[in-house]
Amino acid sequence: MSKDGTILAQKIRKSFGPKTVLKDINLDIASGEICCIIGPSGSGKSTILRCINGLETVDSGVLKVNGEDFGYYETPHAYHAHSPKKLAEQRTRVGMVFQSFNLFPNMTAQENVMSGPVLVKGADKKEAAKRAQELLTSVGLAGFGDYYPAQLSGGQQQRVAIARSLAMEPEIMLFDEPTSALDPEKVGEVLAVMKELAKKGMTMVVVTHEMGFAREVADSLIFMDDGYVVERGDAREVLSNPQEARTQAFLQQVL
Amino acid sequence: MSSIDSALKPRLRLRTPAEYAGWVLSILAGIGILVSVLTNPNFKWGTVAQYFTHESILRGLMLTIFLTLASMALGTLLGLGLAIMRSSQVKPVSIAANLYITLFRGTPVLVQLIFWFNISALYPNLTIGIPFTDIGTAIDMNALMAPITAALVGLTLNEAAYMAEIIRGGFSSVGKGQIEAADSLGMSAGTRMRKVIIPQAMPSIIPATGNQVIGMFKGTSLVSVLGVAELLQSAQLIYARTYETIPLLLVASLWYLVMTLLLSYPQSKLEQKYSRATSRLPRKAKKVVVLTEPEGTLR
Repeated sequence: MSKDGTILAQKIRKSFGPKTVLKDINLDIASGEICCIIGPSGSGKSTILRCINGLETVDSGVLKVNGEDFGYYETPHAYHAHSPKKLAEQRTRVGMVFQSFNLFPNMTAQENVMSGPVLVKGADKKEAAKRAQELLTSVGLAGFGDYYPAQLSGGQQQRVAIARSLAMEPEIMLFDEPTSALDPEKVGEVLAVMKELAKKGMTMVVVTHEMGFAREVADSLIFMDDGYVVERGDAREVLSNPQEARTQAFLQQVL
Repeated sequence: MSSIDSALKPRLRLRTPAEYAGWVLSILAGIGILVSVLTNPNFKWGTVAQYFTHESILRGLMLTIFLTLASMALGTLLGLGLAIMRSSQVKPVSIAANLYITLFRGTPVLVQLIFWFNISALYPNLTIGIPFTDIGTAIDMNALMAPITAALVGLTLNEAAYMAEIIRGGFSSVGKGQIEAADSLGMSAGTRMRKVIIPQAMPSIIPATGNQVIGMFKGTSLVSVLGVAELLQSAQLIYARTYETIPLLLVASLWYLVMTLLLSYPQSKLEQKYSRATSRLPRKAKKVVVLTEPEGTLR
């Protein structure tokens, strides 16, 4: 699979009832690319991320993740939904980190990290536990394996959530405002883990309000507004010299 | 002038005349009832003691316990199925479950019990077999629906409707984010249910189920109308012979009370255990994990 880690979206449309959230989304994210999506709330940036992971289905358009049609298969006349099994298999190749962490509160940190490999891939428990400890160490949480999520701070929980996604060895990692629910002093520790991850060549799509992170880490930047991609380009280029008036207005407010 | 430091003086609660009146009235009422219970010879406490461990009373008690456990177990299983059906995306399935729940919660359980007992009037024969073929056997419904069967069927089907609502309530207490997290890991619907939803729904399901068990224990007395010799019916059979109605009702009541109190203890323990899942207290001793890898390295 040479096209692993790529995302391609063409003319994506998505409505919730009468409200059209995604109007005409075109994306082309290369393998290993770090792409930040910024934009005002309600612009559809979280929705497009959720579509890439199958938490939402698109109404029309082409969506290819890891080089294959996501959630559906194409026939001459229509896209047909995949079986739950095939969809689940595609999802295991895309990791998702949520704003509200969504760790399983009934499992310890280590059990959370093990949950994917053991419950989905049927991995050996001992090996999964060892791998989970390595992953927890890599996010700076060595020794925290037996803590329950409720005993951890928000920043620690989010790092466990990142480790949980990484345990599935996905080609793509999606981050949906991963630091928005954190105390300001805990934001840094999560961003540090993400920077470390970016260096490893993982494809990352990050919906964020952290312009500093975008400037420092991202290869490309997408500015979305009202269901459209308004501007996209090199991250530093867009941030320092936005071309579109709407982007300029937004950046003036947040920078 | 003050004898001790003002900062150390105790703060006294206001006691109103109503509070003193409450004390006096409660104590007077308590003494009155106690004297009456002990001195009224019609209570026949001797007879109560004599029959308390009578063989047929104990056999009735055993049957009551069996009916409670069996119909709770079966009702919970059926209720789980109904709860899953009710949260189904397939409309007809969820409507079917909804209809069942409405029907069984909307009619008295006593009526349901008598209905099942007389079901042979509606369907004289129960045929088990493959539709549109001759393969199968017919069972005489009258013989099948013995009082005890009717009791078990009636209690189970009724309990299932209540358990379905309790379990569904538990399911919906699990946040949407949990389901999304499970989905994004690629969990199957079954795994998601067993490992994520049910464990988290338990804290709200368990205490409510405990209440249902206690309710069911007392509710089994209704099947006495079908002639099932459970605790109440056993007492009734005896006083039909001896005319010692009140003492035998007291025997039955005391057993119900004893069993209810015995059941409340594990119930409160369970409630404590499951409320701890959401607290910040560690549930097991922390093992110290010693790893030699330097921090901040991704493999």
